[in-house]
Amino acid sequence: MSPTMTAAPDKPMLVATDIHRHFEGMRAVDGVSLEVLPGKITGLIGPNGAGKSTFLAVLAGTLPATSGTIVLEGEDISRLPAYQRARRRLVRTFQLPSEFAQLTVLENLLVAAPNNRGDSLFGALMGKRYWVGDEDRLIEEARGLLKRFGMSAKESDYAGTMSGGQKRLIEIMRALMLHPRLLLLDEPMSGVHPKIVEEIQYYLQDLRAGGLTILMVEHELHMVERLCDTVVVMAQGKVIGSGTMSSLRRQQEIVDAYLIG
Amino acid sequence: MNSYYAATLLVYAGVDIIACLALNLQFGVSGIVNFSFIVFQAVGAYTAAVLSMPPDTANGGYQTYVGGFQLPFPIPWIGGALAGGLLAIPVGLVVLRKLRSDYQAISLLVLSVIANSVITNVRPFLNGAAGIAQVPGPFADQVNPLTPSYQLLYVGLTVPCVLLVWLVASRIVNSPFGRSLRAMREHELAATAIGKNPVQLKMTIFIVGGVIGGLSGAILVGFIAVVAPSIWLYPETIILFAAVIVGGRGNNVGAILGALLVPVGFEEATRLIPPTIGEWVPPPNLIPAMQWVAIGLLIIGFLWFRPQGVRPETRRVFEGGPE
Repeated sequence: MSPTMTAAPDKPMLVATDIHRHFEGMRAVDGVSLEVLPGKITGLIGPNGAGKSTFLAVLAGTLPATSGTIVLEGEDISRLPAYQRARRRLVRTFQLPSEFAQLTVLENLLVAAPNNRGDSLFGALMGKRYWVGDEDRLIEEARGLLKRFGMSAKESDYAGTMSGGQKRLIEIMRALMLHPRLLLLDEPMSGVHPKIVEEIQYYLQDLRAGGLTILMVEHELHMVERLCDTVVVMAQGKVIGSGTMSSLRRQQEIVDAYLIG
Repeated sequence: MNSYYAATLLVYAGVDIIACLALNLQFGVSGIVNFSFIVFQAVGAYTAAVLSMPPDTANGGYQTYVGGFQLPFPIPWIGGALAGGLLAIPVGLVVLRKLRSDYQAISLLVLSVIANSVITNVRPFLNGAAGIAQVPGPFADQVNPLTPSYQLLYVGLTVPCVLLVWLVASRIVNSPFGRSLRAMREHELAATAIGKNPVQLKMTIFIVGGVIGGLSGAILVGFIAVVAPSIWLYPETIILFAAVIVGGRGNNVGAILGALLVPVGFEEATRLIPPTIGEWVPPPNLIPAMQWVAIGLLIIGFLWFRPQGVRPETRRVFEGGPE
């Protein structure tokens, strides 16, 4: 499996325009507009409570937007529920571990794979012979990912027994099983051992080299600097700046709001 | 052990196994806490009853009910199963779409209480609290139901149903579809984020469980020839939950084991208690009351000490993978 870059390099993969998300009057996301370029890693940074994770959830559809439009490669997906967006290969991960604890590591990957004939009541009732071809193909694909992420030995273990870092990797691999056009990562390094942080960094660079587009919320600024092509800074629900990390460091307002905090 | 007793035991075991397999699909595999399961069994039983009974004007009209179509076997059983599935559609659409899982459980429990109350009090519909009696079983017009050969026949009709339900349940549990259900049970939001539609998954398995539950009711009513609100009070669902918890949530073999250990085993074990202990004659309701205490303790005990049950959910090791 190799993630493919499906948009033209100069056209944005995703365009979010004037996104609002209010919670009973509290403006968690307050008119955010953002473009994500294909084949790049875009970082989203900001202090706690800036609305970054909420914005990510709105993009993925796990939280509905109060208003605003989201266009993924020319298609308006603003009104689609989360599962429909995932089926259009806009895939998110979560800030907190979200593995399927009582499924094995391999099953965590297999369950995400689309196009399995056995993944419906009809297919299930037809019996194994009806879907075993798809299953075998997907097992091979999932094992390829496990090997690439150095987790082959763990495939039969319950995902719930893995360490925090391994759970992050499972989540990223699970997302990759959907062949994402755009991967939304919500603090992939949080609560992870420094050694695994380096591993995750390596894998993300590898994925970008393969052409995958990523939008990533992250607090670890050195990591953001090393990984991200463009960085967007949010504070109090608004975008207060964007550019490369080095250019952002020169903007006093941003430095005051976040970077020296 | 005489043949009547053996047949009764086997048919009851079959009905409980079918019910536990259905509840296991809903609760064990998919995480839907269906506290109204017994209602689906009851709907199957009433439907089978009114499909197989003569009109209520027969037998001097001593009981009143709708229908009375006198249809031959297997129509009442199929009708019972379909009725269970049909009931699952509106219930599922109201309960499973928007509510959080704990509120779903409460709503379903309340539904169970309401349904029982309504059927008890609306007498013209299904004969109220007295229930419907003299329900003819399959082929009762051809074989005398009071003979051992009829008892054997009934066991012979029940067993294929158990096998069919077992086949359906195992195909679901061991398929990629079953894996999606388990993923939804583990983390619904994460399942949504990988393209699963939780409402569709829940509705599907709720209807499948409703169909199987309805079938179990149809089989039961044909055998005991009576269905009344007193046999499907909401605590009956708790017994089935105890069976699935004790047997092993998410494991079909566990569900069968639970069905044999709890509803069947308990009923049988209490028969062995002597009616008097020395000089002391216990009050008449002591044993049923103690059964409920024991069921409660069993659930708490298992959830505390062995939440995975006697036969835990199987860990899937794929061919060529490490153990």
